[in-house]
This record gives sequence, C-alpha cells and structure tokens, in this order.
Amino acid sequence: MKDINKSFFGVDVLKNAQLEVRPGEVHVLLGENGAGKSTLIKILSSAYKKNSGRILLEGKEVNFHTPKEAIDAGVNVIYQEFNLNPYVPIYENIFLGREFTKYGFIDEKKTIAEARKSMDRIGLKVDPKTLVGDLSVAQKQMVEITKALNGELKILVLDEPTAAITDTETAELFKIVRELKAKGVGIIYISHRMKELFEIGDRCTVMRDGEFVQTVTLEETSEDELTRMMVGRSVSFEKRVNNHIDEKHKSLEVTGLCYKDVVKDVCLDVKRGEILGIAGLVGAGRTELAKCIIGAYRAHCGAVKVHGKEIENVCICNTIKEKVVYLSEDRKDEGLVLIHGVNDNIALPNLSRFKKFLLNDKKITSVAKEYINKLNIKTSSYKAQANTLSGGNQQKVVIAKWLCIDADVYIFDEPTRGIDVGARDEIYEIMYELISNGASIIMISSDLVEILKMCDRVAVMHEGEIRHTFANDASLTQEKILSYALHGGTH
Amino acid sequence: MGKVSKSENFSKIDIQSLALYIGAVLIFITFTILCSAYGKSFFTLGNMKNIINQSAVIAVIAIGQSIVILTGGIDLSVGSIVGFVGIAGGLLLKSGMPLMMVIGVVLICGCIIGFANGYFVSFGKVPAFIVTLGSMQIIHGLTMVLNTGRPVSGFPSELRMVVSAKVMGIPISIIYVFLLYAIMITVMKKTTLGRWFYAIGGNANAAKLAGVKTKQIEMLAYVFGGLFASIGGIFLLSRLSYADPNAGMGYELDVIAAVVIGGIALSGGKGSIGNTLVGSLILGMLKCGLQILNVPVYFQTIIIGITIIVAVYLDKAKERKAE
Repeated sequence: MKDINKSFFGVDVLKNAQLEVRPGEVHVLLGENGAGKSTLIKILSSAYKKNSGRILLEGKEVNFHTPKEAIDAGVNVIYQEFNLNPYVPIYENIFLGREFTKYGFIDEKKTIAEARKSMDRIGLKVDPKTLVGDLSVAQKQMVEITKALNGELKILVLDEPTAAITDTETAELFKIVRELKAKGVGIIYISHRMKELFEIGDRCTVMRDGEFVQTVTLEETSEDELTRMMVGRSVSFEKRVNNHIDEKHKSLEVTGLCYKDVVKDVCLDVKRGEILGIAGLVGAGRTELAKCIIGAYRAHCGAVKVHGKEIENVCICNTIKEKVVYLSEDRKDEGLVLIHGVNDNIALPNLSRFKKFLLNDKKITSVAKEYINKLNIKTSSYKAQANTLSGGNQQKVVIAKWLCIDADVYIFDEPTRGIDVGARDEIYEIMYELISNGASIIMISSDLVEILKMCDRVAVMHEGEIRHTFANDASLTQEKILSYALHGGTH
Repeated sequence: MGKVSKSENFSKIDIQSLALYIGAVLIFITFTILCSAYGKSFFTLGNMKNIINQSAVIAVIAIGQSIVILTGGIDLSVGSIVGFVGIAGGLLLKSGMPLMMVIGVVLICGCIIGFANGYFVSFGKVPAFIVTLGSMQIIHGLTMVLNTGRPVSGFPSELRMVVSAKVMGIPISIIYVFLLYAIMITVMKKTTLGRWFYAIGGNANAAKLAGVKTKQIEMLAYVFGGLFASIGGIFLLSRLSYADPNAGMGYELDVIAAVVIGGIALSGGKGSIGNTLVGSLILGMLKCGLQILNVPVYFQTIIIGITIIVAVYLDKAKERKAE
C-alpha cells in the first residue's frame, strides 16, 4: 500500500500511509489508538474508500470496490468484532455466500463434510453443527480463520486477535499463524501486546497520527524503541510509591456478597487513597462482583458499606448518590451512548448538577469543554458524536462522565483494554490524581503488568471467590498472581 | 479547540433540520404554482387554517409517538385509542356527565392504556411492535363492544367549542397544538426526563449504568403515547361532533409517517420533536393540496407513500456518504 490518504469530514486520518507485506511473513502493524491502523486496514479490505494512493497486490495495482472483491482476490480481514451469525451453525457460517448446491437446493451433507475437513486443518475440534453463538471467543476466531482459508488466501489481517482470549488459546492461534506463514500467506498482525509481537512477528511497521513512521525488523529492535516510535517518548513501567493511603478509613467495605454461581461469599475493602486490584481470568466473576457492588445486579446476600455506613437498598441510583461509581469494561455497549455527543455523554449521570428548573445547556457545555481539556480528549468538537472518537478517547469520555460526579470510590473495569500506551499512561495519571485527592479505586484488570504497576493490594479471583489478597510489595510476582488465578493457588 | 468548535457550531446548525424546512417550503411553493396554473388558489388564509386544523389531530398524537420512537419503541395502538376516546367520551357525554369531566376521564383512560403498553414492553420485555399490535386490536374490539359498533351523535354544541372556538380569529385548536409542542420541546430538550428518553433510545445499557431507572422511564414514554393519542381523540370528537367506532383507524401509520418525515430515527435516540410538527404539516399540506388539485384519492395515497420514502432517503444522505 503506497501513499494512502484518507479524510473524514475534512479531518485527515491518513497522510501518505504505507505498508509492505511479503509473502510468508508476519507483519506487525503498531500504533496508538487513533494512529490510523484500523482505517488503513479498512481501506485495504475496501470497507472504506481511499482518497488517493495505490494498493498493489503481487506487483499489480488493484482497485477493490467491495469487501467481497477483496476477499475474492485473497485479502481477508478478521476484525475484533467477528462477522459471524451466532444463530446458525458453524458450517453455514463458513460457507456463507459460497454454499454448495445440488439441483438448486443447499447440499447440507457436502457442506458439513467440507466444513469438517477445513476445521480439522486448523485444529478446531467441534461439531460443525454447533451454533456459533455457543462457541468461545477463541473458537469463533478459529471459525473466522477457517472461513478465510476457504478461498485463495494471500493476505490475512488479524486485528487484535488476542484481546479476548486466554494464554493457551493464544498459543493455539500462534501455531495456526505459523502454519499459514509457512504456506506463504502474508499476515498483517495488529496488537498492543508488546510481548507477543516479538514472539510472532517478523517485521513491524509503526504508525503515528496517520503517518508512516518506520518499518523495522523485530529482531533488531526492542520494546522501548518501538514504544518511543509510537508515542515519540518513553513510558515507564515501574510501580509508583503511594503515600496517600489512610489506613484507618475504609471507604468501601463488602461482606459476604453472593450472586448466582458467579460470585461466592466475597469480602473486600478498600481504604481511602488506595488502589485495590482485582486480578483473575475472564469469567472469574470480577465484572459480576463489581456490578453487584453498585447494584446493577441484585446480590442474593451480603452487604455493602460506604464510609462505614451500610447501603440499605443497593441499586444504581443509590450507589451513585453514595458516590460509588463503576466504569464499564464495555465502552460501546455500557459506557457511552455512541450516537450522542461528547457533551451529552458527560452530562448523562450528572444531570441533577445542571438543573435548577430546566437544564442549563451553557453549564453542560462549559463543563464538557473543561474535561475535554483536562483529560486531553482528542475530538473535533465538544458535541461530536462519541462514535467518531478513537477507543482511547472514548475511554476518556467515560472517565470524564464519572469524574464529574466527584465520587469517593471508582471501580475501573479493564480501564486500558484496547488502548494504546500513550493514552494508557494518561489514564494511570488520572487514577493517581484521584487517590491523591482522597478517592479510592478498585481496578479490575487482566493485564498483570498494569496490576503490579498500579495497585497497593491485589485480590485474585478464581471461580467466583477471592482466593487470596496480596500486598503489592517487591515479593509479589506475576507468577504468584497467575497461580491463584488459574487454579486458586492449590498447586 | 475553541476555533474548531466555533466553525463546527456553524456548520452543524443541523443540516438535516434545514433540509426538512427547505423541503416543506418547496412543497408549499410547488402547490402554490400548480394550483394557480389550474386556476385555483392554494395560498389563502382559509386553506392555511384548514391545513393546520386538519393536521392538528395527527400532529398532537405524533408528539407521544415521537417520544416512544425516541426511546427505540413504537406505538401502533394510537389510532385505536382515537376511536375509543370518541365512543367512550361520546357515551359519557350522552349520559349527562359534564364535558370537562369527560375530557378528564378519557385522558386518564389514554394514560392507563399507555401504562399497560409500557408495562409489557419494559418490564415484560415483549417487543413494542407486538404489544401495541395486540392492544390495537383489543382497544378497537372494546370500542365496538361499547356501543355495539354503532356511532354516537347528537352532542351539545359546547363540545364543538373545545377546538373550534376562536381567539382573535385563530381556531383554538391551532393554539393548543403550538402550546403542546412548545411544552414538550422544552421537556425533551431542557429537562432530565427528556435527556433520559434520548439516552434510553441511544443506549439503554449505558443509561442504566448511569443511574437512569430505564424501565420506569421507558414505560413512561408509552404513557405519553397514550395520553397524546387521547388528546388527539378529543380533538377529533370535538371537531366532528360525531363519534364513529372506526375513527382513527390507520392514524398510527400517518403519525409514524409524520415522525419519520420529521427525521426521528426509528432506531431511537436521535431526532427532534419540533421537526415532527413540520413532518405533520408536510403531510397535511400534501393531502390538502392534492385535494384542491382534484387528484384522485388513489393517486394521493401513492404520492404520500413516495414522499415518506424520499424524505427518509434524503435524511440518510449523510450516512450513505460516510460509508
């Protein structure tokens, strides 16, 4: 891809971007959120139209008009949000649009047999008749890959493929990627996880602000160097000393909380000025625990105390009044109203603040602008629709709307998932500022580096229970946390 | 930052609303020209009053419908409520109940119907289309049962005055319409409740986590739907001074048409209630203008159908471009 330019509503998103992938290589595409990676990929697959520039496939210029043309030419993209129909079986998904027919009717037998063959090839061991909705994220991903492999495959793009899958599943995925590589497929790999880039990648192209920065061979570079290229500065990963903790004051205390089978008799507390981490695998019940605390789910038993006072009727409106807030892991589904403006999103939980008899629009606007500046939210306007912002900036809007409440306890659920290094650091800064002003934070995270860097204590959840709470001192390692997260510390 | 937002402010005076107003004016001009070409007059005070008067019922019901659609739902029962209000109100009047009391009673009936609709949609999780499709049939059936399918007539003359009285030469129904719109525009734009309606339609999950009591508020939208439908029913009963159990049939479609022509997205969360009034007026103008031109009624239907699709097609221009 050469000299690709693209602008949305007059804003340049790509400026002379370029990318060159060789057959049989894993080419990592790296850059902060909003650097233009996704846009570049969408232009490749012709989901977006480019303003100018050329795309060459095996030396010949190609001009795809529809994603289907791109797929027919052997360019396949597997997005983070899968393009699968959850209500139909695997085999129908695999052959969607390429059904085998016999006398004009679908030949189910043949379709199923063919599906099984291609699934075997990549080691997906499930019945092809299983509904896609019943599969795990990793399995869905494999279905997507199977689908891609069915045609002639020259370029495969994997967009954040490991964001939602476990380590074992990642190993599986890498095996498949290596096999594809051996077959001469060019693979474009987008990920923020530095460690795995070095494990799987050959070369790496770094983008920043829609521009091409550099293409490097991964063997000849380091994490630090890549980070510097991405953000233009280096980022630290050392734990900071927190001297804001007020040992005597418990801001939030939870005792004996139960919810269905997912949260079992959980007790925890967080002190003023403290960051409590909650580690654990996806599905360990961390999000459910948080939602029980704020009352989005109704716990069967247990109590929630704020500043030593028990909340009588735990429901969201009450917990917000008690200044306990939850920042969802799912920005798009639970964090933001994507079709509404940044200002309206920030105002939503704070409307009573802007109300005398009627809402004061001017005040809403000025507060929105204040937070846009304070959190350095990159947006074309204070009332731009939330879905026009990049992931990191969307997350900042979510934070802004809760900062505005001036809460005492913030529950951050995966605050930096899918967010680039630069924005990540800014979010950490915000969290530090919060605790230095006397707030308390509970941080749910799957990123152990982040847990170790940020938290004062770490509670590890396993199958709905808190198995152990560590003080985060020099002796705490990722391995220790993992052993509790994986098998509850019994091994 | 400041610079950008200023120019954004200007360019975003809402192109979609602007297009709607221009469209309305264009339709108006077209009719004026066409009518004069056929030796008739469109732009007369009488015609204008007529258009607004005729549109009043649809415009009022469309307020409630807009709120329901903004929360991401739909209310098909509004037409049958109009019929119900006519017969029930008519029978009560005949039984000697004072007019004001009758109005009070039917408004409460409208709210109760809306409450029931809303309950099944929000707490019962039954899709709005299905709940209101069902209640439409139930209410229509009830209306038929009430007076064994016969119309009611012979009302005291004060009934007519409810909407036909004149204030400084303007029919009071027109004043009611503008007043109701002014109130509801303020509610939707300037109150917490209004923001909540928008937020629920935009993303109910996010609204819930922001502390909005989504179920109660969603239910309230249908109460508004029923309330405004019954106000529309009173308008019609008063204007005709005659209650037909089949009155209001098909109104739900006209009302939905007015809402979508006004630019409110059927998916909810976006659009402005003020534009619904413009949408209703466009529909009224079309009906009235085509009648003056003596266009056969079947062709009128065709033209109105085309207008609905074209309006939404133009409304989506921006989205198509973004793709």
